[in-house]
Amino acid sequence: MSAGGGGAVGAPGELTGSLAQRLGAAVEPGPPGELRLRVGAGEFDSAVRTLREVGARFVSILSADTPERALVAVFALHGELVVLRAPGGAPDGTIGSWWPAVRWAEQELVERCSGDGGGAGGYGRRLTAPDADLLDRRVDGLDVFTIPYGPVRSGVFEAIQFQIETGGEDVPRIQTRPFFKHRGMEQRFAGLTPDAGVHVAERVAGVASVAYASAFSQAVERALGVAAPPRAERWRAVYAELERIACHLDVIAKQAEAAALYVGQARFGILKEQVMRLRATLTGSRFGRGVITPGGVRFEGAMELDELLLALAGLERELRRDRRLFLATASMTDRLIGSGRLPRTLVEDHSAVGPLARGSGLSTDARHERPYGDYLRLGLRVVTHREGDAMARVNVRFGELSESLRILRQSIDHLRRPAGELAVALPADGAGAAFGWAEAPQGELVIWVEIRDGLIHRVHVASPSLRNWALFDHAFPDDVLTDFAFIEHSFGLSVAGADR
Amino acid sequence: MLEWIPRGLRGGRVTTRYPHREEAAPPGYRGRVALLNDAGAERGLATVCPTGAIALDAQRRLTLDRGRCILCGACVAAEPERFAFESRYQTAARSRSALIAGGPDGAGGVEPARRALGERAAALRRSIHVRHIDCGSDGSEEWEIQALWNPHYDIQRLGFFLTAAPRHADVLLVTGPVTSAMRLPLERTWEVMPEPKALVAVGTDACSGGLSAAGSLSAGGVDAVLGVDVYVPGSPPAPIAIMHGLLLATGLLGAAEVSA
Repeated sequence: MSAGGGGAVGAPGELTGSLAQRLGAAVEPGPPGELRLRVGAGEFDSAVRTLREVGARFVSILSADTPERALVAVFALHGELVVLRAPGGAPDGTIGSWWPAVRWAEQELVERCSGDGGGAGGYGRRLTAPDADLLDRRVDGLDVFTIPYGPVRSGVFEAIQFQIETGGEDVPRIQTRPFFKHRGMEQRFAGLTPDAGVHVAERVAGVASVAYASAFSQAVERALGVAAPPRAERWRAVYAELERIACHLDVIAKQAEAAALYVGQARFGILKEQVMRLRATLTGSRFGRGVITPGGVRFEGAMELDELLLALAGLERELRRDRRLFLATASMTDRLIGSGRLPRTLVEDHSAVGPLARGSGLSTDARHERPYGDYLRLGLRVVTHREGDAMARVNVRFGELSESLRILRQSIDHLRRPAGELAVALPADGAGAAFGWAEAPQGELVIWVEIRDGLIHRVHVASPSLRNWALFDHAFPDDVLTDFAFIEHSFGLSVAGADR
Repeated sequence: MLEWIPRGLRGGRVTTRYPHREEAAPPGYRGRVALLNDAGAERGLATVCPTGAIALDAQRRLTLDRGRCILCGACVAAEPERFAFESRYQTAARSRSALIAGGPDGAGGVEPARRALGERAAALRRSIHVRHIDCGSDGSEEWEIQALWNPHYDIQRLGFFLTAAPRHADVLLVTGPVTSAMRLPLERTWEVMPEPKALVAVGTDACSGGLSAAGSLSAGGVDAVLGVDVYVPGSPPAPIAIMHGLLLATGLLGAAEVSA
């Protein structure tokens, strides 16, 4: 483990000037933390190329409507979001051919812009209209066959398909096919008030409701130039860390299940259920829904703070024992060590985020890179491991469980101060557009929100799951088919979030 | 490895006694919305609900469709003397109309299960195999279904087992509004299940499309594609609610215990 550091963070002014000059871009005004650059339509691709060269991490590509119709690409660089904008709406679909991170996001945008009848750019098979029966085999050889695994899978899992080309043991090629679950959630926001829109945000990826609600609310607040009161931010951090604990425990329980370590599965299942019940008592919802709203939170957590601390102390005590046993069980760790190894360069090329990136030695964490809300006041230790295998990703999660519990104690302590305001009112006919973000349990989540006359006009969700799923095709370098479950669970992603 | 054994025994029994004993939800739990007074409402009240679960008839009598309700609380905040959250887990019903509260007839009647699984459940008792299919949920329903097999709920003690093969399944749990890409897989899964069989729609999205029904991208609920035997509304429904739905679907809960 190492203490995280996102590299030297240059003075914003310095970065703005030199980067804009290098890209030949005009600087546009934007909310703090967003560096908005405008280039000509013909200079977009080369500007993206330059940003890659200076080490920017790709976040998403979208078509924006505010202030005018434009193609927008977003990057994370030196503790800021770099927002590159060019006139026009649709990309030409070629950036993904030289930057793997951009590929899925760009292909999705090309296909959505071209509508149902259009082609799929230079990519061949359509990404956003998956067909469960369509097999496309690439690997030749005697005895190589294709297993179409999904979208109806064994066990209780979300719908996604993996086409596994294998001779029985080795997996020479695997192809991940998302978008069976595409519900059009981004379109569902249009015309809603921000207060109602947060309910849609909570249902984009249900297991990360709090992160989605926070990122969406933060985007609305930034677009309208208001700030949530400190007490609301504290509660948001409490709910976000509880959500992280639940998600990480879920991943670990599933690993134990895959190794047929049933007592371990039961133990981590019990701990997760305790967190779910804690959230139900605090918020009335087992997923912490209905609390966070643009402008603040709707109510105080319905629990005495001492009682909450006591419950967390009990959880931590049990977790420590179960963790020790888990890590001492060779039949468990043998399945994880060396499985699904992702080299750091590969992870960087795909601009992956979350525990997956941190398991390959990248100390990327939105709470640390661009601290928001209560994380500005809370110290955060970014947990990283270098090995890049499933074990490293599980170890990152174990480390983050302890860190989340520490943050919770700190936040709860801050909540002891006399109660203040819980929410601020939003301007009735406000207008604006901004990004909001949060570190979801799956990784960095970024949401773009445009507001006109107080109503939501357009939303784009850059989900961590979509970015990270693309790496699954590369996760079987020396692995065999029976490692599948361990590698998949070690990714710990949400299909609903990727498909939206 | 051996150390896991005392670890598993530690803490004693955590398993719920449900359905033999009622499982109480924590105070303040948002299990479903109660309609306290359905008469003489303002016209604009229906627009408060983001999923259109609230309707007014010509006499300005309110109805609340719990199959559409996502428990967001907008109505409770707007009209606390008409709507209130109920802290309860059991929300499943055997018909869509039983989920509609208020209106001229009061609560909707409980229709008998359409299929024969309930009657055959005596023969299947202690061995009912359950298969799940995700047709576009937000992912939270899957967590709550998985939770049924954790020590807190342990639905295996009631004779429910998860099966990987639809050909071995007696009950199909469906989540999500049925997206266009999942329609065919859903129909195929249902088709290969042997008779008698039952279909349980889990979650508000599966019951009516909920918030995620956007135009032509989904069927807007499972019953637009296949007949549904039991509806479990909730966003997402708690594990006990899903258990309630499974018990209703298999006829293991008597009519007297059906609380709609």
